[in-house]
Amino acid sequence: MGLRIELDPGKCSGLGLCEAEAPELFEVQEDGSLTVLDDHPSADRRAECEAAVASCPTEALRLVED
Amino acid sequence: MSTDTSFENDFATEFEDDEDGVQMLPATSERKPEHYPVDISTKAFWNLTSEEREETFKILRKEQPVSWQRPVDDAVNPDPDDPGYWAVVKHADIVKVSRDNETFVSGQGVLFDLLPPIFLELTQSFLAMDNPKHDMLRKLVSSAFTPKQIKLIDDKIKLAAKEIVDSFASDPSGEVEFVAACSEKLPTRIFSDIMGIPEEFREQTAKSAADIVAWADPEILGDRLADEVQVEAATILHDIAEQLIELKRREPGDDLLTSLIAAEVDGRKLDEFEIGSFFVLMAVAGTDTTKHTTSLTMRAFTHFPEQKKWLMEDYDARIGNAIEEFIRYASPVMTFRRTAVKETELGGHPIIPGDKVVMFYPSGCMDSDVFENPEKFDLARPNAREHVGFGGGGVHFCLGNQLAKSMLRAIFKELLFRIPEFEAGEPELLGTNFMRGVKRMPLRFTPEKVS
Ligand code: HEM
Ligand code: SF4
Repeated sequence: MGLRIELDPGKCSGLGLCEAEAPELFEVQEDGSLTVLDDHPSADRRAECEAAVASCPTEALRLVED
Repeated sequence: MSTDTSFENDFATEFEDDEDGVQMLPATSERKPEHYPVDISTKAFWNLTSEEREETFKILRKEQPVSWQRPVDDAVNPDPDDPGYWAVVKHADIVKVSRDNETFVSGQGVLFDLLPPIFLELTQSFLAMDNPKHDMLRKLVSSAFTPKQIKLIDDKIKLAAKEIVDSFASDPSGEVEFVAACSEKLPTRIFSDIMGIPEEFREQTAKSAADIVAWADPEILGDRLADEVQVEAATILHDIAEQLIELKRREPGDDLLTSLIAAEVDGRKLDEFEIGSFFVLMAVAGTDTTKHTTSLTMRAFTHFPEQKKWLMEDYDARIGNAIEEFIRYASPVMTFRRTAVKETELGGHPIIPGDKVVMFYPSGCMDSDVFENPEKFDLARPNAREHVGFGGGGVHFCLGNQLAKSMLRAIFKELLFRIPEFEAGEPELLGTNFMRGVKRMPLRFTPEKVS
């Protein structure tokens, strides 16, 4: 069981609200695209991940367990 | 129009193309109920205070979350064929409409008031565009507003906030007109820095930006017509943009205008008109909103002094959530519109292509299904961040949200710790249905001791 972050780049508008919540996990690039720095975050990052996913105004992020 | 299944086709033949190839859908009174008796389109309603309007929104949220309303009174550019609009007042519906950008589009106008097409072209830029064009244009500027970029200018913002409060905090009279002395200063200065506007253009830019949103306010209009004032202000801003473009071509700077001049979309550069419209959009969106939030929050602190005390006990840890509540409580942008391009359903009503749908953000921010005790200014509110003050999400979600938060964080730190004893008097409100604006507001305070 681990956490995985899924990004739908088609939906992402590159504003970085996720980055404001979890700067170690997300980084918006110069060209406005988003890089997920760690798409398999450790379990103790769950709260941060959830906050980041909830903050996304375009519903581009999903947190899945696998 | 005979059956339900035929009307997509019927509509298709009625499409009119404008120059950009945007298909304008005509509005229709087809399949509409009677206009709802709780009427929010009167001039009188929009001259009330927000607290008074909230009484009516409360009734609508309970009785008729999505209500069919007649066109707004006193539109700048009335349309005799306009059958009305759907008023969306519940938090959940505002979120739904904002996020479904395929069904509810912006390309047919986003303002509640009906305005002259020339004005819209001059001012709206990507605010009134749909994808794919919206994202292409927005991405050109969005990289200037990411968390990292805002952090880079954070020190500048702090310094500006300090200097602004320096200018009046030790004034022995202990009284200022707060809007001119403080609220409007920070956003104007930071916006000008980001854009690269030299000192001599700043005042005129701020004044024209304010004229644009104040269109229905009798004091600002004087004896001029609303559309005259607006188009004049928008034209002045385009002129300023043109002069600035020339300047930046000669002397490029490390600013947004310089990068817009160099930017390419689809292999071509933006023309001066496009950059001009960008400039107007940013000048309006980036200044007035934060200015009014600052004034309204000072007033809220006057009404809820215990909240001020609580925040000051651990400012750095508490200000993040507190700012979300500042915005929920102020909700300075009151309305934006969408137009349906697909058949759907809202609040139990069939919505058909061409229908105008207007979102009332302050009502969403006061929705007791989401916010417990919504009338309370509660800086520890656990879900304050669910407010719709920056919009309900989707592709148009406020581009400047992090910048706005950074400015609010800086200015309130200065205000609360340097002149903690203050009282904000009765605000004089802007009479429009777009911005919950404060024209003037007296602030009395115990002056800071000069060391
Ligand atoms: C407290 C301050 C602010 C509030 C309450 C606010 C509110 C809003 C709202 C309600 C929208 C429309 C969202 C939608 O249609 O879904 C919006 C869009 C926008 N805001 Fe803000 N705003 C603020 C500050 C700023 C600042 C400082 C900037 C600076 C650049 C800015 C730039 C924009 C832009 C460019 C858009 C259009 C985005 C688009 O259509 O893609 N805003 N804002
Ligand atoms: S918050 Fe959402 S839209 Fe914004 S950068 Fe993150 S994933 Fe993209």
